[in-house]
Amino acid sequence: MKNKAGDLISYLMIVLAGIILMILLIGITGNSISDALSGFIRGIAGSSYSVAEVFVKATPLILTGLGVSVAFKSGFVNIGAEGQLYMGAVTITALALAFPNLPKGILMPLCLLGGFLAGGVWSLIPGILKAKMGISEVINTIMFNYIALGIVGILLQTVLKDPNNYFPVSATLTDSAGLSILIPGTRLHSGILIAVICAILIDILIFKTSLGFRLRAVGMNPRACLCSGISVGKHIIISSMISGGLAGIAGVCEIAGLHHKLIEGISPGYGYLAIIVALLGGNNPFGVILAAIGIATLQVGSLSMQRAANVPSAISSIILGAIVLMLMARKTIFKKLIDKKEEQG
Amino acid sequence: MTVKVEEKMILLSMENIQKKFFGKYANKNVHLQVEKGKILALLGENGAGKTTLMNILYGLYQPDGGKIFWHGEEVKFESPKDAIERKIGMVHQHFMLVPTLNVSQNITLGLKETGYPLTDRKAVNRKIKSLSDQYGLIVDPEAMVSDLSVGEQQRVEIMKLLYRDAELLILDEPTAVLTRQETIGLFEVLKRLSQDGRSVILITHKIPEVMEIADMVTVMRDAESIITVPITEVDEASLAEYMIGRPLNIVEIPPRIEKRNQGFILRNLNLEEKSQTKSATVSFEIEAGEILGIAGVEGNGQKELAESILGIRHNVAEEMQLFGKDLRNHSVSDRRDAGIAYISDDRHRDGLLLDAGFMDNMLLKFHKDRRYQNNGILNKKKLNDFINRQIKAYKIKVSSPSLPVRFLSGGNQQKLILSRELCDEPKLIVACQPTRGLDIGATEFVREQLLMHRSKGACILLISADLEEILSLSDRIAVLYKGRIMGLLNNSKNIDITRIGLMMAGRNFNLNEVEIHEK
Repeated sequence: MKNKAGDLISYLMIVLAGIILMILLIGITGNSISDALSGFIRGIAGSSYSVAEVFVKATPLILTGLGVSVAFKSGFVNIGAEGQLYMGAVTITALALAFPNLPKGILMPLCLLGGFLAGGVWSLIPGILKAKMGISEVINTIMFNYIALGIVGILLQTVLKDPNNYFPVSATLTDSAGLSILIPGTRLHSGILIAVICAILIDILIFKTSLGFRLRAVGMNPRACLCSGISVGKHIIISSMISGGLAGIAGVCEIAGLHHKLIEGISPGYGYLAIIVALLGGNNPFGVILAAIGIATLQVGSLSMQRAANVPSAISSIILGAIVLMLMARKTIFKKLIDKKEEQG
Repeated sequence: MTVKVEEKMILLSMENIQKKFFGKYANKNVHLQVEKGKILALLGENGAGKTTLMNILYGLYQPDGGKIFWHGEEVKFESPKDAIERKIGMVHQHFMLVPTLNVSQNITLGLKETGYPLTDRKAVNRKIKSLSDQYGLIVDPEAMVSDLSVGEQQRVEIMKLLYRDAELLILDEPTAVLTRQETIGLFEVLKRLSQDGRSVILITHKIPEVMEIADMVTVMRDAESIITVPITEVDEASLAEYMIGRPLNIVEIPPRIEKRNQGFILRNLNLEEKSQTKSATVSFEIEAGEILGIAGVEGNGQKELAESILGIRHNVAEEMQLFGKDLRNHSVSDRRDAGIAYISDDRHRDGLLLDAGFMDNMLLKFHKDRRYQNNGILNKKKLNDFINRQIKAYKIKVSSPSLPVRFLSGGNQQKLILSRELCDEPKLIVACQPTRGLDIGATEFVREQLLMHRSKGACILLISADLEEILSLSDRIAVLYKGRIMGLLNNSKNIDITRIGLMMAGRNFNLNEVEIHEK
């Protein structure tokens, strides 16, 4: 608390550095900087549609980011949110195609539960492999991403393929497997509410319950847990299950809220961005929400910049990378600033 | 062969060596002399300062005071490189070999041999072979180090020193990892080395070895060198007394209330991971309200004993009962529920969540306790009240209970563990080195707590390498050596300390001597 001012200044300087980098990069592409920046701003705040678009992007980032951070609390490094998201998407598609006549009040909760279980199982397998055999989850969760993508590809060529369509896409799902639009005229769907509710539930689970304590303790000092009779393996498995489940829900929301059918490439790497979201959010549920909105803003804005001024949206990835680097090195870069304030306070 | 005509020639002399770590003496006024062609044993208990002294000699530490003379001239070793240049070599307790290289490559590692970088490997191997023949030190230059046994690796380490033509070889606890046969072989090599005019310092805590191989012995205790004598002028008993020291002033233990029933029964617990020998088993009983002290030099199975009782290790016992309840095949959690408290000797690793505050550290024990939760939701108010009570009762100094316990002093961390482990009247307390690293005040507090629970009727297993602690607290004392109990004695003011010392050093008073030597 004593170095709050120094902290704040250091964050502001990182943001400033990000903006300067952005202007430099736009300059290199040879486009008008003012056009580009106004395009960026319009993209995120130009209309109710553009504001809503930020939250549409943030929804899967919040859910997958929550998943990664829950696992990380227990020392389980989940790089597999991407694959888990796809498993959730496959599940809702299959359920909606199998039971098109169920009322929404039954089908939607069923899809959410199914998506949670599918994503959970997808992460549970690497979890069991780690807990029981000590196999690194980092490799396994990445490999499970490839397997999941492969499964989606195969299903879209076969059982889930819409026979009336030339492309590998599923048939459009029934309306009862859809999330309602919150603001008419935008794409903002109630998935954002599901994401926020999940964040609140995870916060309660992690910080207010006995199970949450055990999940955290296993991440902090597995050896002490062993000596106190807390099963390390069991809690790694639980945590991996919850983690994958949240990513699975993200997949369900993407289908139910946006695409309404399964296609390849529904996720532009949300599962990988989730790791950055968790990192920036400090593995805290509400920090994750903020980080997800921040990254979504950057992405939506740069896409709009691309449309308005023909500046490649890849710039957003470069800036994101640079900002993450600076945040991680913040304490070293701004050591003097932070320490000085500490002395004064 | 022996050339004893020349008068004694001092090769190395260390005078008045001082070294402090964090304000505590590791070496205080230490004197040491090594004659040319002689084997000097440096004898002392763990933590007596032997290794510190040798690390100073080898240039790993700089002394705070004192002088080192080598061939009569004062020297200063800034790093092991300087020591090696003066032909001093050291074999560490943990070997420094590269497992993926072969023996010959390991021996010449760091040397610029003839033809470097295109080393003439054949010439190197010939030299190794001739050294090998000369000292009876059998090594195969072509063998991969990863394929060698511990004893063979040790020979490679010694060969490394000989290849560099060391005049003084320092061996840190060389027999700790060897079988009896390998030890005999090693001693044979050491004798040949000394006959050849090389000197050896043998760091050890095993008295029989000193009698067997050394020419001179220097005993260290509590960071000081106590005495240096020729081996012909001492016997095992007197060495044991020098090593353990003063007639210990035993703290008054309150009398036992009465003889009660057996509390904890342990029968034939096998402490060896791969149970090759049936002989290495431990059996004892602890009555309710009794403290059983386990004495012994560290690393003789103490940790394994404690962890097997807790269920952290899965060593097999024929019988393990706590007040009639069978504990075998029960999980750590079940055993703790049965009333076992555990004070580990490594509190950072085994007992604390260093990055968390008091609440999470308390929850390590109480996470299942219904008193502090409703349907799985923690009752933080109740927990905080409890924590504040415990902080007061145990006089823990902490600015805020939410502060990560990493920032507490060792004594306060230990009090936190006691306040957690000892509440709710434990039935069996397993205390490993409970006062390690604590100052006098905290030490007294811990001992008082143990005695209080003794009078409340708990069984207490006190495991400590600190003999004084064992003597001042225990009702009975068992000595653990190589996973076996060497003897059980009733503690009293006139207990035979020499005998305990000898048992700690591996002399068995239950079995005849031949048996231990043959393993």
